[in-house]
Amino acid sequence: MVLTMLAVSLLVFAVLELNVDDVAVKVLGQFSTADQRQAWLRENGYTAPFLFRYLHWLWAFITGHWGTSTYYREDVLTLLAPRLAASGLLAGTALLVIVPVGLVMGVIAGVREGSVVDRLVSVFAIVTTSIPEFASAVFLTALFVFWLGWLPGVSTMADGFHLRELVLPVGVLTLYSAGYIARMTRSSMATVMQSPYIRTARLKGNSLMRVIVRHALRNALITPVTVIMLQIPWLLSGVIVVEVFFAYQGFGTLLYQAALNTDIYLIEACTMVSVVVVVLTQVASDLLYAWLNPRMSFKAAERPAGAK
Amino acid sequence: MTRRYAWLASLARPTAAIGALLVGGWLAIALLSRVLAPYDPLHSMVPLLTPGSRGPAGNIFWLGTDSLGRDVLSRLIYGARTVIVVATVATLTAYAVGIVTGLLAGYFRGRVDAVLSFCANVILSFPVLVLYIVIIVALGASAANVVLAVTFGSAPAIFRIVRAITIDLRSRDFIAAAITQGESTWRILLVEILPNSSGALIVDFCLRLGYSAITMGVLGFLGLGLPPPTPDWGGMVNEGRTMAFAFPHLVLFPCMALSSLVLGLSLLADGLRQPPARVRRVG
Amino acid sequence: MSEPPPANTLRNNDGSELHPAVRPLAQNALHCGADRRSVLRVLSWLGVSLVSARAVLGVAARAVASNAPRQGGTLRFVCSVQQMTDPAATTWVEASNLFRNSVEFLTYVDPDNITHPYLAQSWHPSADLKTWDFQLRAGIRWSNGDPFTVADVAFNIKRWIAPESKSPNRTTFAAITAIEPLDELRFRLHLSRPICSLPEHLYAATCPILHRHFEAQGANWPRNPVGTGPFRLTDYHVSRIAVFKRRRDYWGQPAWLDEIRYLDLGSEIATHVAALAAGQVDLLYRLTISELDLVKRFPSMQLLSEPSAQTLVMRMQQDQKPYDDVRVRKAVVLSADREQMLRLAYRDHGVLGENHHVAPSQPDYFRLPPVRRDVAQARRLLAEAGYPNGIDLTLALGNTQGRYEQDTAQILQQNCAEAGIRLSLQVLPPAQYWTIWDKVPFGMTYWAHRPLGIMVLELAYRSGSVWNESHFSNQRFDAALDKALGILDPHERSAAMGDAERILQEEAVMVQPYFPRKFTAAAARVRGFRADPQDYYRMDKVWLA
Repeated sequence: MVLTMLAVSLLVFAVLELNVDDVAVKVLGQFSTADQRQAWLRENGYTAPFLFRYLHWLWAFITGHWGTSTYYREDVLTLLAPRLAASGLLAGTALLVIVPVGLVMGVIAGVREGSVVDRLVSVFAIVTTSIPEFASAVFLTALFVFWLGWLPGVSTMADGFHLRELVLPVGVLTLYSAGYIARMTRSSMATVMQSPYIRTARLKGNSLMRVIVRHALRNALITPVTVIMLQIPWLLSGVIVVEVFFAYQGFGTLLYQAALNTDIYLIEACTMVSVVVVVLTQVASDLLYAWLNPRMSFKAAERPAGAK
Repeated sequence: MTRRYAWLASLARPTAAIGALLVGGWLAIALLSRVLAPYDPLHSMVPLLTPGSRGPAGNIFWLGTDSLGRDVLSRLIYGARTVIVVATVATLTAYAVGIVTGLLAGYFRGRVDAVLSFCANVILSFPVLVLYIVIIVALGASAANVVLAVTFGSAPAIFRIVRAITIDLRSRDFIAAAITQGESTWRILLVEILPNSSGALIVDFCLRLGYSAITMGVLGFLGLGLPPPTPDWGGMVNEGRTMAFAFPHLVLFPCMALSSLVLGLSLLADGLRQPPARVRRVG
Repeated sequence: MSEPPPANTLRNNDGSELHPAVRPLAQNALHCGADRRSVLRVLSWLGVSLVSARAVLGVAARAVASNAPRQGGTLRFVCSVQQMTDPAATTWVEASNLFRNSVEFLTYVDPDNITHPYLAQSWHPSADLKTWDFQLRAGIRWSNGDPFTVADVAFNIKRWIAPESKSPNRTTFAAITAIEPLDELRFRLHLSRPICSLPEHLYAATCPILHRHFEAQGANWPRNPVGTGPFRLTDYHVSRIAVFKRRRDYWGQPAWLDEIRYLDLGSEIATHVAALAAGQVDLLYRLTISELDLVKRFPSMQLLSEPSAQTLVMRMQQDQKPYDDVRVRKAVVLSADREQMLRLAYRDHGVLGENHHVAPSQPDYFRLPPVRRDVAQARRLLAEAGYPNGIDLTLALGNTQGRYEQDTAQILQQNCAEAGIRLSLQVLPPAQYWTIWDKVPFGMTYWAHRPLGIMVLELAYRSGSVWNESHFSNQRFDAALDKALGILDPHERSAAMGDAERILQEEAVMVQPYFPRKFTAAAARVRGFRADPQDYYRMDKVWLA
């Protein structure tokens, strides 16, 4: 894991800071003269060889010195912190909705496999995962903002926090994720419901509800839980589109603006933060999976149609 | 019918049929775009006409016009061509890269596998959109760079699938037999192993084509897609977004087009999937 | 003075003798058909009282709103809040609008380009326009209690022109050789060459008068926001918010608003409009044409608009192939359909440009014969230049002001296609475009409004000028500019400008299709606010109904 992080940091640094003159232009602006740039490059250690610069940057990064944004001209850490909190709020609220909705839909569909409910959930899941977030944002906005006028079209929180402004962004994120989780849960649930253990419990006379809650769920939820953990990195991607669409002042819009402004240090910091989040969730997901399923049965690789 | 081609039969299932219809429909539109489009998608006429209204010469604009006066229907039709071509090329390139690396890693294991798997892990630890944004910003927005970005983003996942299949197949008897017979490695990889994974890969291909189309849409929406005036569904949403309140047709139609294409691909992928070994219901 | 002078006689603000050029100018305006507004403008530079000048020339001042202003209220203004330490070195106009509430200028130029007294009560130029006497207002106090004196002004001006100064003022005021304090409230500026429009330059965004101890106190204005203005800064958070509160001890009439909150809502203007529609904010900094329809759908919003000399120039570098051949350049210029660009990309909200970067609204504009589109001629020229089958060109642009730049470029694409020029567009993110704007052979650059056409031509097309992105170098042109600079009378000057304009057209330096209007939007309850062609906003006369 640490090696992966190091490789990522090297990649990010190389892509953005390989060409020193570009860096100087981006920091000092387009009206800087060649002399000013040379002076700045010397002062800031850019005349050193690449590897040296990388190590220096890495150390600075680890110790929390993330540089100054060339566009906002403020310390990157001070800029990032509130934006990360805002995106965390958005993603957290979205998860609070996605997880129950997805799980409940999946459980019901899995229990009643083959029924109308099951078909509906499957169709819903396929449809919602096919609509890109910006498209569902467009549809929801057309419905709730333009036609019905129930909700505000932007979520800038200019006037302080309003829950109403979170509804549409969370709605868009939910639409995309809940269906996927519902499908995963459904297939997992359906498989568990067929197991002999459950059939025995039913035959013993326990009510369906009791069987589900006491016996089926624990086994059925292993896969979905890890899937949910792995949705978090996806949420990070999805959050960017949603934030840009609804102008929510979070991490996503910051990264987007930084990318458009070629704000090098800010891009580097944002990318590293995203990668840290992804890697941490992957690790957490593995740990969670191992803990939930002590007798870890290694899933055989899918056997494709193979002729002998 | 051998199991190798059993997936063709699953096209008869309803979901797959609908999916095939949607995808086939868009494919036909893309191929026949020159015939079907009523106007030149790059030609400016009367700006911001609502769907169904007529221009000064009495000619009708079924889906209205955009802010530069170009016919939305024509741009939608040509946009299908853009999306299908670029997404297909991108996905095929990703497949080429993923298949080659996956085969090599799965077959040879050891150091080759370690290095390739590590590279895949590194790329997979980027949230996909962040990766795309950094690549496009670093290299500039063009069709070639969109293909590159999608390849980068998708190849690792394909690599993993192919690698897993290869590892599994490699241990089978028929491969051992081929080796003792003296077949060259490449022949083994391409003739024996690859076709046996076609089932899973076909399904994945449809899905990934859908993801590539979505990626193009998102990049276009963020203004990082193909350069203007290329008709591009995501780009059309980006351009029309500021006026969507007054002219919703500018964004609704491209979104519906993209959603229906990806839906078709998802349904097709779902339909082509081999049904899992089902435990019979008892009681 | 025994008797007040007759009502319709010209007089100076300080009662001194009129500058020798004043009467001939007034005569020109009254009898020879010179544009009265332009003459009014020149008279204001020369220290003539505007009241008397308006009376004599018969130019009415803009009508004031009839409702009595209401005291109080908080105005929420959407504006990007950028990092700023030294107002004299600021490069962003937005930042200048923030500190403009607290620190003030020697003069004030209103949206009609007329110069008024501000911190300076009056001024008097010598006959050769190389010596200027300024009289400051009495009784002004800084927000920290110190009296405002000549020492403050001297500190600032010396700072601007110092060799190590990082401010663009160093170039603008390079002609100032010395500032000579005459007494507590009077000083004299000595110039190395005559500048007739000096008072107008003193209102540039980088020219506020800061406290004389600004450097000693750390040279970071937001940390120590001392000012003479009607508001004081209470909060400043980059990329988030800045708050100004009314000063009751202001030297002039106290502002109507209690508080102004500047909110940074990002760069997407459509979201600003949505916030305005939802009542979350009261005033926007800028609108582009894309948001116009959106604003029109909300009848409660006020749409404010001003003509402006801002424009887009699609300029070709003279020293790069294939643009070094004037026939290729002419082909591009001849195939462009400027009317279509204005109509489609900016919905006719603007004035046609004539490919020489001087706007009809600028006083030194000279009317040349109309430019006509000629695709056939373009084809012929291309064939002559050695491209009988057309040519492939690339235009770089950055959408720095909005999507209308891209739209304009796409129209040019269609126009050029008719002449066999296959134009492809290279659209860059705005910040990236600014790194290459002066390097790319064919690029579309936005130029902000400048009050005088000569200012733009000097900056952009004089040989060797720092911002000469088209690498245009023409001796006849430079000579025409020199000639124009020496003429005070705007009418005569415009004739000299005509030569410069003609040369730019003959050399086919650029496609400069139109001068778009400036737009902004405000909530219904905002009164007393006017859009400004340069985006310089004064908030002390603004009130909330």
